Amino acid sequence: MSAGVRADGLAAGYGGRQVLRDVSFELEHGRTLCVLGPNGGGKTTLFKTLVGELPPLRGTVEVDGRPAYVAQTERTRLDFPVGALDVALMGSLPHGRWWLPPRAADRRAAEDALERVGLSRKAGARFGELSGGQRQRVLLARALVQDARVLLLDEPLAGVDPASAERIAALFGELREEGRSLLVSTHDVESARRFDLVVCLNRRQLAFGPPREVLDRATLEATYGREMIILEDGGPARAVTVQHHEH
Amino acid sequence: MIAAIPSPLDLVDLPFMRTALAELALLAVAGGLLGTWVVLRRLAFFAHAVGTATFPGLVIAEAAGVTAQGAGLATALAYAGGVERAGKAGRGLGDAATGVLLVAALATGVILASDVFHSGAAVDRLLFGTLLGLGRGDLVFSAAVAVLALVATTTVGRTWTAIGFDPDSASSLGLPSARADLLLVGLVAVAVVAAVPAVGALLVTSVFVVPAACARLLADSVRAMLAWAVGVAIAQGALGLYLAYWLDTPPGPAVATLGAGVYALLAIGSAITRRQG
Repeated sequence: MSAGVRADGLAAGYGGRQVLRDVSFELEHGRTLCVLGPNGGGKTTLFKTLVGELPPLRGTVEVDGRPAYVAQTERTRLDFPVGALDVALMGSLPHGRWWLPPRAADRRAAEDALERVGLSRKAGARFGELSGGQRQRVLLARALVQDARVLLLDEPLAGVDPASAERIAALFGELREEGRSLLVSTHDVESARRFDLVVCLNRRQLAFGPPREVLDRATLEATYGREMIILEDGGPARAVTVQHHEH
Repeated sequence: MIAAIPSPLDLVDLPFMRTALAELALLAVAGGLLGTWVVLRRLAFFAHAVGTATFPGLVIAEAAGVTAQGAGLATALAYAGGVERAGKAGRGLGDAATGVLLVAALATGVILASDVFHSGAAVDRLLFGTLLGLGRGDLVFSAAVAVLALVATTTVGRTWTAIGFDPDSASSLGLPSARADLLLVGLVAVAVVAAVPAVGALLVTSVFVVPAACARLLADSVRAMLAWAVGVAIAQGALGLYLAYWLDTPPGPAVATLGAGVYALLAIGSAITRRQG
């Protein structure tokens, strides 16, 4: 297919309960899309639908091949006795032969992927003992081994140290150059400006387009409501989101 | 008074001891391997509950003269199926529901045994096992389960690890989570039934949880944990059996007590090491 991802009039949710509606966008190969919205706005629901875990309640989604999905690192089991290389190797599972031990080629691919994310020296380290940013990079390495045309990354920059964030941003550029489609969710408005396209979600799609067209005051207010403070200092509207965490 | 120390060779020379030792070794393979997945996937309470759930089925089988394994299997699989369905419906069978079921199964079994079938004497045996009164059929069943556990671990092990480590990414990795989970839960149910004649409905955790829980403290990879779990289970089984023979205590509880003691020591040791490190 020509597009990496296409959604048309999509409504999605859990067990018949709709949490997201009116989602329509198209992402070409070699383009990056920022999925912007507050916590609970439907970002993860959209990803789960694109992965095929949730069937669309209405409308359609098309994805080129099986996408690689990188969940938020806190969703992983940090107490699991697996090393960085073991996790990267999990990316070879979808290549068939899941019932056999990994081949030498799989192992090489996992080592190469760890090198690409700058963690070859941590190959033997326990996943749970790595920093948040390093864990995120290991999960990215697993996605690299998967070699998918479409990558879905759920808040990959949340709670990540600056060195890891830089490494991850550089990797996004490389993947884009390779003609892969990247969908990256975030609740951070400022980081959204670096993407080719932005889709704003808050229980429904509020806007879709290039960041300079989409990220205006009205759309951001509609997306975030009172979770946002707009800073106006002459330039384009800058926004700082205030996360209301439930305790 | 403590009896004179018997020769450890009696464990292989005496036919009934040899059978018990063989059974413990087979259960060590099944329990060590499946137990690793049970502990990693936090199914310990489930394994215990499945064992207890077989109890009323076994009482009925005993009274009706049907093979205990068939009845145990039916109750264990029905229970495992219920848990799996509840999990799929997104509700999960919470700890509270599992606890209630456990008590209900135990109480129903006791009432059936004492008041309906008047087979009170069998209760002890069904709950705590008879390692020294096993038949050839028990060994064959345990051997089959050990082979199944080995085959499943070598083929599905990578998938179980990937799903357990990061369930959210399982479908993007093309892993059939629901079927893999059903297979694990079903295998545990079958293996628990195989262990019941030897260690009893109440002590199956000594085979399916204790060795793997010890291994969890010793190993830093899944592969090492599998090896440690089988090793600990064999050592705990042989030593427990020998101690029971020497001190003239029931072997099932001896193996279980020894295992719990080893776990306690390892847990304390690992806590101290962590504090120093």
